[in-house]
Amino acid sequence: MSELREVISSGNDLAAIAAVDAGCMFFGGYPITPSSEVMHTISDLLPKAGGASVQMEDEIAGVAAAIGASMSGVRSLTATSGPGISLKAENLGLAQMAEVPLVVINVMRGGPSTGLPTRVAQGDVAQAKNPSHGDYKSITLCAGNLAECYTETVRAFNLADRFMQPVFVLLDETIGHMHAKAMIPTPEAVKADIKLRKTFDGAPEEYKPYGVAQDEPAVLNPMFKGYRYHYTGLHHDADGFPTEEIETCRKLIDRLFNKVDAHKEEIELNEEYMLDDAEILLIGYGSASLAIKEAVDTLRAEGIKVGMFRPITLWPSPEERLYELGQKFDKVLSIELNQGQYLEEIQRCMGRRDIAKLTKTNGRPFSPADIIEKVKEL
Amino acid sequence: MSVMEAPENTPVWTDEDRCKACDLCVSVCPAGVLAMRYEPHSVLGAMITVSHPESCIGCNECELACPDFAIFVADKKEFKFAKLTDQAKQRQQEIVSNNYMILEA
Amino acid sequence: MAFNYDKYLRVNKMPTLWCWGCGDGVILKAFIRAIDKLGIDKDDLCVVSGIGCSGRFSSYIDANTIHTTHGRTIAFATGVKLANPDKTVVCVAGDGDALAIGGNHTIHGCRRNIDITLILIQNFIYGLTNSQTSPTTPRGMWTVSQKVGNIDPTFDGCKLAEAAGASFVARENVTAPKKLEKVIREAIAHKGFSYVEALSNCHINLGRKNKMQSAMENLDWIDEITVPKKKWDALSEEEKMNKLPTGILKKDEEALEYCDAYQMVKDAHQGKRGKITQDDFAKKI
Repeated sequence: MSELREVISSGNDLAAIAAVDAGCMFFGGYPITPSSEVMHTISDLLPKAGGASVQMEDEIAGVAAAIGASMSGVRSLTATSGPGISLKAENLGLAQMAEVPLVVINVMRGGPSTGLPTRVAQGDVAQAKNPSHGDYKSITLCAGNLAECYTETVRAFNLADRFMQPVFVLLDETIGHMHAKAMIPTPEAVKADIKLRKTFDGAPEEYKPYGVAQDEPAVLNPMFKGYRYHYTGLHHDADGFPTEEIETCRKLIDRLFNKVDAHKEEIELNEEYMLDDAEILLIGYGSASLAIKEAVDTLRAEGIKVGMFRPITLWPSPEERLYELGQKFDKVLSIELNQGQYLEEIQRCMGRRDIAKLTKTNGRPFSPADIIEKVKEL
Repeated sequence: MSVMEAPENTPVWTDEDRCKACDLCVSVCPAGVLAMRYEPHSVLGAMITVSHPESCIGCNECELACPDFAIFVADKKEFKFAKLTDQAKQRQQEIVSNNYMILEA
Repeated sequence: MAFNYDKYLRVNKMPTLWCWGCGDGVILKAFIRAIDKLGIDKDDLCVVSGIGCSGRFSSYIDANTIHTTHGRTIAFATGVKLANPDKTVVCVAGDGDALAIGGNHTIHGCRRNIDITLILIQNFIYGLTNSQTSPTTPRGMWTVSQKVGNIDPTFDGCKLAEAAGASFVARENVTAPKKLEKVIREAIAHKGFSYVEALSNCHINLGRKNKMQSAMENLDWIDEITVPKKKWDALSEEEKMNKLPTGILKKDEEALEYCDAYQMVKDAHQGKRGKITQDDFAKKI
């Protein structure tokens, strides 16, 4: 995607535009601050493109309708904020179990509970890893600037179809409502890069939607094309029908993990900023990284050699790279708008407990000054 | 209409692999055609039996009432069914009174 | 020759896991006959079910089938239908599924009048989870969660559907399988949200402690409490107490269906028509 176009837009609008450019034809949702603009924008774009956008009676119905449309074979989106994810959780679990691709945009606000509806937070990072009960492997992307609200949404659609499961795109109030210039790929470039879910073209009687290799996702054909099969949230066999057979149950859950673990390199994406000669490592993601970058520039102008590592794919986490960085840097500072949800993952990956943290949970974004001050204390 | 072939000269027939012995078909038969026999290998210890096919009037009630797709009635165009007789009605009452079980000969 | 149900069944899933004498199978059968008579291709049919004994309904039909989460059947089906307006979408849910945990979706499915048929299997109890009170359990009946007798008032699902805006509302009884087949057929043929309440027996979990231990006894009781619509209309308010009318209770062929309404939205956004105004809803499109 080399050719770029200049737009002036907001993060939420860019996510909606990206979805439609990526071939999304269905949106199901429910109003919630600070994500509603995604619905406002896509409710104009989708009918124009021949798709459908529906405001459902609640968050649960919003995601259910989106999953239903996706089961029938169309690219689907839902967008919400943390409280909405809490409500959608059970159906997200169904999509994980039945392997239904879906993109879920979560524009994070202050929590827990109703929290700070119009204020920023990054408090749903741990939730995104396991939003519903049961065992499965989440894929979660996190936009760190306006352009990424677009590019990560596009990437999420392709990953959802590749791995046949919901993919989260985390925005936050700051980035969702930020309105500025961004350089994003052209719709033609996005279209050329669309990778739709695999389909089976053989004889219907030979079709085994869930009868795939242990490191591959299900192959779910669009409905109404002669391949009649069954979706269920129960443990199911190769044909998709409920079973309690011991080996089948074991292999199913193993596969839900393996299909992601075995192909992490297709999912992992990080940004490294001024790391080569750095002596202090700052780790942050999402809108926090905007302040971190500015702090890095300011500190470097003062002669303090800092650099930033920013995971763009939060889950699965960049385990190997974090481990390497943990070996290389003595001083590591984790910066996030929560009490340290990703810090725990960084500690795990680095195998270290001496990582400094800068956190904020008062609904306000970081300013570069906060970070500069903290770095100087290290 | 989706149709299947009927066995020759048979007004009503059953699929014992599907029957759960719920008694519903026996209970709706007006003509004492059906009854349950003892069947130790069935879950409920009984199995459907077409004990008096000659009395079947082709009303199709048993087929429509069966929740398990286990009993079928021939098409009226293809099979000449019996008329409902008092004797058949009487037998039906006796079968119901006998807890839907087949009457001793 | 005889009717061939197997054409529409997933034969290798037989026998069903429903208890002996369960009305769910009778409803499945009536549904199959209705689909056959309507000439609906299995490939063009999507059946969506929720959780409960009725949840297994979808797995037995050889169509495009979805077994969803508890109560969310209509919400999933709304996505399928809006994305595929030319296909037949049928929901199957129980009284707990569609009137308790999923009540909101039932109301709003009716309100949108989207062309989905809901077959609500109403057996007055939570069957799968073993005899808990449902929104339709008659007062005074034993349930495992109210062992001295249920005190909760009951829902009349048909009244609810009518009030919420469903354009087709009917109730039938599994003891009248031919009538049941007919209302299901009419419901699917009807364009708009069709609510079909199929009164069914659960002699295992409703009947066992309420003096209806066989399917036949449970069904006799359902016959006793149901009155065909024509007779019902002539009853006094007192006579209507604790009884339910059967037959087609509402049929409005003028009401605007939601996929048609959404087509107006598409047309407006595509410049094929002007903005939608109140006047658009006075006439049929």
